[in-house]
Amino acid sequence: MGFLDIDNATKSYGAVEVLHNVDISVQEGEFLVLVGPSGCGKSTLLNMIAGLEDITSGEISIKGRTMNGVHPSKRNIAMVFQSYALYPNMSVAQNITFGLEMHGTPKAERQAALGKVAKLLQIEPLLDRKPGALSGGQRQRVAMGRALVRDPDVFLFDEPLSNLDAKLRVDMRTEIKKLHQTLGTTIVYVTHDQIEAMTLSTRIAVMNGGYVQQLGTPKEIYDDPANLFVAAFMGSPSMNLLPATVRVADGRVAAEVDAPGGPVSLALTRGADALRARDGRRIVLGIRPEAITDPDGADRGSNALERIEARIDVVEPSGADTFVTLALGGRDCIARLRADADVRAGETVPLTVNMEKATAFDPDTEMRIG
Amino acid sequence: MAAASSDTAIRTGRVARAGIYLFLLLFALFYLLPLFVMGANSLKPLGEITGGNMMALPSDWTIAPWLSAWSTAQIGVEPTGLRPYFWNSIKMVVPAVAIATVLGALNGYVLTKWSFRGDKVFYGLMLFSCFIPFQMVLIPMARVLGLAGIAGTTSGLVLVHVVYGIGFATLYFRNYYAAFPTELVRAAQIDGAGFFQIFWRIMLPSSGPIVVVCVIWLFTNIWNDFLFGASFADADSQPMTVALNNLVQSSTGVKEYNVHFAGAILAALPTLLVYVVAGRYFVRGLMAGSVKG
Ligand SMILES: Nc1ncnc2c1ncn2[C@@H]1O[C@H](COP(=O)(O)OP(=O)(O)OP(=O)(O)O)[C@@H](O)[C@H]1O
Ligand SMILES: [Mg+2]
Repeated sequence: MGFLDIDNATKSYGAVEVLHNVDISVQEGEFLVLVGPSGCGKSTLLNMIAGLEDITSGEISIKGRTMNGVHPSKRNIAMVFQSYALYPNMSVAQNITFGLEMHGTPKAERQAALGKVAKLLQIEPLLDRKPGALSGGQRQRVAMGRALVRDPDVFLFDEPLSNLDAKLRVDMRTEIKKLHQTLGTTIVYVTHDQIEAMTLSTRIAVMNGGYVQQLGTPKEIYDDPANLFVAAFMGSPSMNLLPATVRVADGRVAAEVDAPGGPVSLALTRGADALRARDGRRIVLGIRPEAITDPDGADRGSNALERIEARIDVVEPSGADTFVTLALGGRDCIARLRADADVRAGETVPLTVNMEKATAFDPDTEMRIG
Repeated sequence: MAAASSDTAIRTGRVARAGIYLFLLLFALFYLLPLFVMGANSLKPLGEITGGNMMALPSDWTIAPWLSAWSTAQIGVEPTGLRPYFWNSIKMVVPAVAIATVLGALNGYVLTKWSFRGDKVFYGLMLFSCFIPFQMVLIPMARVLGLAGIAGTTSGLVLVHVVYGIGFATLYFRNYYAAFPTELVRAAQIDGAGFFQIFWRIMLPSSGPIVVVCVIWLFTNIWNDFLFGASFADADSQPMTVALNNLVQSSTGVKEYNVHFAGAILAALPTLLVYVVAGRYFVRGLMAGSVKG
């Protein structure tokens, strides 16, 4: 029993079911991020928690109290919208205190609460302005102030940063994280940006097509993706998914990957027991770009480093790292080398693959093996 | 080369612009001509009109025709001038416009933000009411007014105009509110505002331009209406338009054209005033739905 429980929740519009049996339990103080591609049902789920959309079947409860049929204003939640949804005709101060006013809070208390929130968010000089006279970042702050002032049980954020430019987005991301750490509130946060999901959350629910594909800590999601969708969706550049064949010889389980210079054999460590039974069968081998490095840049703590030779097709320096594209497994495979790695397109260079970070998937069920 | 060609572009631009202004000026004069004729002739003694030129300025300026039209001219059988009927019109127009606008705004709010099963059909029917010819409802409306016991009263006229006005008012507000962000309504719901609180505190304060459009539209239409006024009003509730007709049609004595001109201007003044005061917002409001950033 968590703080916020989503129990077998389903949502249909007419005959179309857009959310299928969602089960998530959020603990007090958690920062849960719902992430997924456009149209996967993130906003719908958030709106169901808020009470803005009915729940077709199942139950949502907060602090053990069922929320089915409870009006949004009686759930003790607050929501920050993508467009900020600031009331255009009211000043910043009125925007922030409107909810308190509607809940019958006396004026003196409203002013005190306003002062506290304005100080916390550093928007004191803006209180008399109308939203139209604010910058995007300031609007964002006011929208958060409006949510904070109510002191709700659960904060709901629907893509709050997607309207900001890249730099401001990073700043506000840090601010939201700080806010969460200071206040320790329970947050459900929707985004389609997997970096936001990784950096902010204590747990992530990856959604696709109305299903929760995987629910776990950022590390679990990143290192042990439950299926091919999660593997491909999380991480940038995304995980290399190479077709391979399992070969078992002398007790060694290896994945054989096609390469221009003849097949490359990579010893499998993770899920080796489950893979042993699949001798000769096809798998999809998932290797993150940072697990393929130049030999000097390899992770020294790993016990499963494999050396390969590969031809480099494209070199893309990004400043902090150099990304290179290799021909491996019949498709482009991205490797992350150190920034000053001395490589040129067309060369064949030695590389190290950290097989401790490699994951095998069943190509038919798309699920992780082992 | 580039400099020379841009120079010619500017020069031809100037010529074209001068042409356009000339053209506009001619048209403005053409449209102002009737107003000039009315204004000039309403300020002459009657003799100057009957014995002279309609287009000439008065040689002997007088405001007597205006005073007569306002307070002493023969309307039907009573020598009251247009004054009492002016007030009748005001008493009819103001409540009718206010009620139709508020109801139209409420309809628009419900149709866009509280959609229900069959709301499209409902909206379609509301629109349909805009296109029903006035003549068609005369008899049913007379019956309704009779049954309600408000036949021949100002209240009856208000009802008629509200019924007709709601269709257009709903059309305006629905289209305006369709572009109004639904997230604002949701935010207000979470903040704990109820149906009417959202309407009064969030929607209406942001509806300025469309309220102006709606008020101008309804005001001019209701003020200028003749058919309903002539059909449903008693002698003591007749609006300005009907009284003006009676003034002009009075069969007794000579035709006082100068008084008629003054009366006609008096009857048109309120709508003119509304346009002058609110015209800027009218254009802005009409554009609001289409070019909102
Ligand atoms: N009123 C509706 N009637 C029918 N289908 C709807 C309705 N509202 C949403 N949907 C569908 O439900 C699905 C989920 O929509 P939702 O808005 O939750 O997506 P999302 O994950 O928030 O996407 P985005 O990242 O684009 O905001 C979509 O496929 C959408 O087409
Ligand atoms: Mg969404």
